Amino acid sequence: MYISAILSILLIGSIIAFLTRTREQARIVAVTASWIALGLATIMFLNYDPSKGLNNFKEFYNWIPSIGISYHVGVDGIGLPMVLLTVLVSALCAIYAWGEKHRPNEFFGILLLMNFALTGVFVSLDFFLFFIFWELVLIPMFFFIGIWGGPRKDYSAIKFIIYTHVGSVIMLLGIFAMYHFHGKATGIYTFDMVTLLSAYSTIPLQGIWKDFIFASLLFSFLIKMPAVPFHTWLPDAHVEAPTIGSILLAGVLLKMGGYGLFRFLIPMIPNAHHFFVYAIAIFGLVSILYSPLAALAQPDLKKLVAFSSIGHMGFISLGVAASIAAGHEIPRIFAQSGAMFQLFSHGIITSVLFGSCGVIEHHTGTRIIQDLGGLAKKMPKFTFLMVAGFFASMGLPGMSGFVAEFSVLAGSYPQLPYFVIIAIISIPLTAAYHLWALQRAMFGPYNEYLGDITEATWYELTALLIWILLILALGIYPTPLFNIMRSTAGSLTSILPIGGIQL
Amino acid sequence: MIDFRPFAYLIPILPILGFLLCLLFGKYSWRRGGMFANLTIFGSLIISLGILYNVYFQGMSFYEKSWNWFYPGIVFGIVVDPLSIVMVCMVSFVGLLIHIFAIGYMGEDPDKFLYFGETALFTGAMLGLVLSNNFIQLFLFWELVGLCSYLLIGFWWYKPEAAAAAKKAWMFCVVGDSLFLLGIVIVYNYMFSAPGITEPITFSQIFSSLETGVIPPPMLTLVSLLTLAGVCGKSAQFPLHGWIPDAMEGPTTVSALIHAATMVTAGIYLVARTFPIFMAAPNALWVVAIVGGFTALLTATMGLVVNDLKRVLAYSTISQLGYMLCMLGVGAAIGAYAVGYSIFHLISHAFFKALLFLGAGCILHGLWNIRSIKEMGGLRDKMRITSITMLIGALTLAGFPLTSGFYSKDKIIESAYEYGEIASKTGGLVHYLPWIFLIFGVFLTATYTFRMYFLAFTGKPKTYLAEHAHEPKPISSMIMPLIILAACSLIFGILTQTKFYDFLSTTFTTTTAYMSALNFEHLAKMGGNPYGLEHVETPLYIELLPTVFVFLGIGIAGYIYFNNRVDVGKYIKKGNPIYKIVWNKYHLDYVYRNLVAEKFIITLVILWDVFDLYVIDGVVNGISWLTVKSGTVIRRVQTGVVQNYATVILLGIVLLLTVIWYFGV
Repeated sequence: MYISAILSILLIGSIIAFLTRTREQARIVAVTASWIALGLATIMFLNYDPSKGLNNFKEFYNWIPSIGISYHVGVDGIGLPMVLLTVLVSALCAIYAWGEKHRPNEFFGILLLMNFALTGVFVSLDFFLFFIFWELVLIPMFFFIGIWGGPRKDYSAIKFIIYTHVGSVIMLLGIFAMYHFHGKATGIYTFDMVTLLSAYSTIPLQGIWKDFIFASLLFSFLIKMPAVPFHTWLPDAHVEAPTIGSILLAGVLLKMGGYGLFRFLIPMIPNAHHFFVYAIAIFGLVSILYSPLAALAQPDLKKLVAFSSIGHMGFISLGVAASIAAGHEIPRIFAQSGAMFQLFSHGIITSVLFGSCGVIEHHTGTRIIQDLGGLAKKMPKFTFLMVAGFFASMGLPGMSGFVAEFSVLAGSYPQLPYFVIIAIISIPLTAAYHLWALQRAMFGPYNEYLGDITEATWYELTALLIWILLILALGIYPTPLFNIMRSTAGSLTSILPIGGIQL
Repeated sequence: MIDFRPFAYLIPILPILGFLLCLLFGKYSWRRGGMFANLTIFGSLIISLGILYNVYFQGMSFYEKSWNWFYPGIVFGIVVDPLSIVMVCMVSFVGLLIHIFAIGYMGEDPDKFLYFGETALFTGAMLGLVLSNNFIQLFLFWELVGLCSYLLIGFWWYKPEAAAAAKKAWMFCVVGDSLFLLGIVIVYNYMFSAPGITEPITFSQIFSSLETGVIPPPMLTLVSLLTLAGVCGKSAQFPLHGWIPDAMEGPTTVSALIHAATMVTAGIYLVARTFPIFMAAPNALWVVAIVGGFTALLTATMGLVVNDLKRVLAYSTISQLGYMLCMLGVGAAIGAYAVGYSIFHLISHAFFKALLFLGAGCILHGLWNIRSIKEMGGLRDKMRITSITMLIGALTLAGFPLTSGFYSKDKIIESAYEYGEIASKTGGLVHYLPWIFLIFGVFLTATYTFRMYFLAFTGKPKTYLAEHAHEPKPISSMIMPLIILAACSLIFGILTQTKFYDFLSTTFTTTTAYMSALNFEHLAKMGGNPYGLEHVETPLYIELLPTVFVFLGIGIAGYIYFNNRVDVGKYIKKGNPIYKIVWNKYHLDYVYRNLVAEKFIITLVILWDVFDLYVIDGVVNGISWLTVKSGTVIRRVQTGVVQNYATVILLGIVLLLTVIWYFGV
């Protein structure tokens, strides 16, 4: 019941927010609805039982039984942290956007709608339901960019929606193929995720179809993550999106791709072509190395942060591939739970980074690093939080990013040693662009051309502070969350052939 | 007396608590945060001394405790053994004195609470690093001290040089740290897949598994060298030594605390802590000895030409760290005692270098932050106490007989000679290199130290400010630490020498609840090290050589610089090629900054960006362009003229009929 409660509260809240007249009403509605959802998700987190797996908080109702569509929701160690991340980031976004002036009721309505759709993606256990939510996510984001965006908002909004939509359509073909072949073989036509995924290895399929199904899903997720070379929609979308849009885009929306890897691809891999394991690892590695080099060249602070996301998401692919490849059980589970943890951790870290970009843009009117300088003088409290966020993004131990990245690296080395050795090169480069940006933007003499700017507002600081505290808490004591992921990673690993797949 | 060991975890936690208090309430408290920082570090000092008393005088056993962290085998834990006790005592003691000094030195700085918060955090992190019982926790604190170093170098962030120096420090360290991280990953790889290991992966676990060959020897060497890379970053050894001179842009107390007494010694501590791994790794210690010895000599030459008071001290710090590292390297022939010799020098160095930096702080305080020794002169009469305490510091640094520096450095040089004697029998004369590096280093150290001292304190004042310098009030918070540190520098060596070595060598050779005593002979055999092959008597002239060099160095410095007797500019012109190359720091900064960072990385990055924008995104936009374009072309077919459609329909029917007729369907 918790899941349906969260979904309905968010949907109803969204509708109410659209109907409100004033900014004050709209933001109260948004904050209330999203914090109630956060409260419910927290209760779910506390009551989660690792032994029950996907049956946790399960709800199952027939919807269109004639073609096998049902309302089937539930969460396990993959879905629950994602739901928690979604409602958490959205709840903090509602605070961060407290001062929104431009069409506020629609803004908050779309924020809640986004929250609703994203939560839906992570709880659906029916392919049909899943795909509805998956596509629904695009619409609020399209409007975020299109209405509140920057100067090239039309180009970016359209590029964003078409690019990711191409991925979705191809995924839809894959889903249909699975549905069809399963129905043909067993006589039962169903979109139920659990059934179809476990049937993937049992139903007789010709090789080309099997690979097509796998590749179509993989392609869609790689665009969503995004992995190099399917990443070019991301910097454009981020540059034009409003701050809240960017936070949700990088903080939660990208996680749909990573979530897909765990939810669909790992259970399917034993029966897919083993070449795909290498492909996932290589896409991960290329992203890890590509992003810092591209980020170093960016004059725009927000674009720099956008590229940092690509690299961090690369660790997820690397961890997934390493958890499949042949090797000892302990490091494989370590790599996989680390990759899951990276999903969560990057969600909150990147929120701080984009939140910081937003503060700088609101208060100085520019994001171009060369035009900033010495902001620490005028915004000391904000600088403190931003520096903390940047170091978290660099993977400073004691913050959540380190737990995730260390787990992925240490867990991947036994299976894919050369990948890890190459991935290490990215660490100094990542440090370089973060520090370079900090030095130019925040330190040094104050750039007097910026005029008299003020300290960040209380709501911006509050949201950033909560994010930072969470990052620290998860960096120092990740165990409660990590254990949930570890139990699921353990059961996912047990689906795979014993000892992993020999590459 | 109470058993303090179970409270050891409070040692790092108290100063970190102090950090939080400073941050939240520092602005409104006594001395704007100084109170919290000083009290909490004092608390740590009490516990540290208590544990030292427990273990050393009462003979209580060592203590280790682990708490599970986020994955089986990965733990938080503390280890209390001679090595860590001695280090925490030093860190909290010297740290406290420097914090007391900073109350006066930071005066009315508007961000004083932040300063004390950050230094308290640093002290806590450093103490945590020392007490760590496993690699991951150590790495956590390792990076945390690096972070504090970054923040404190850039404490006056509005100065462009300070902001740049902070970035440089982090960049140099991160290069080493990422390699060190790879080393840790490799160790964990073998420990994870070791059969039957269910215990937490701690240092003692790793040491115990060394003898059973869980990690193959070539991998041990790799791990050791990667660890050494981390050490080179943090302890500023060649080729990653260039960041410390720039780091002098931070407040002088920061230089004393972080870049002289404690943080930069973390690397030495790391090698000491993991010494058994180095011992068992083939050829690793040899590299350690060469890196340490070479750095010691190289940076001593740079110390000769620099005119910035703080940078002279910075170069001497790097050089002295080289001595400590080299000592551990030549430990290949000495075994567990090498740790004691090296840590002894580390501690005496912490005393005298903190003293020298705090003295420099007094001078800067009196001279409105003038740092060039060419603009000082004659301070002897203006700053009595400072000049005497700094003289003590300089003598100790040079290794003047009967000071603690004499004992600690003498032992190192003697060991290097012993190593040369033993190792050269099988490995060739090249094994005398560490000794040669170190012995020339002694001569240069004495020379540059007293060049600095004589230029600053003797002769006539060269500027208006130097003429009107005066020192802080005698019993202020700034003078007391100087006196205490001077006393420590003088007597530490005489009081504790041999007992100290015996105490520290038990770190690895005592059986505890967590680790059986390590057999160094076996480890040395694994690593092919000459330990235990034979005993060498050092000839008297070798033992006296360092002392002779010290006197020679001081004598030359005195002959030239005492009261500015000789004008060096007459003999060594600015264009002198040797002078030029040393002055330009052997062009290393040029290579890193201009060639690697500016030419290579920036070109690469620009090309990368072009590739991203025009190739990858070009393909994407090309596909969409193609779609639109083909749409426009195909659209022309829809002419809207009925005759055209009729023609096409007719043609289609004909074609269809032909096909049917042809295939006979």
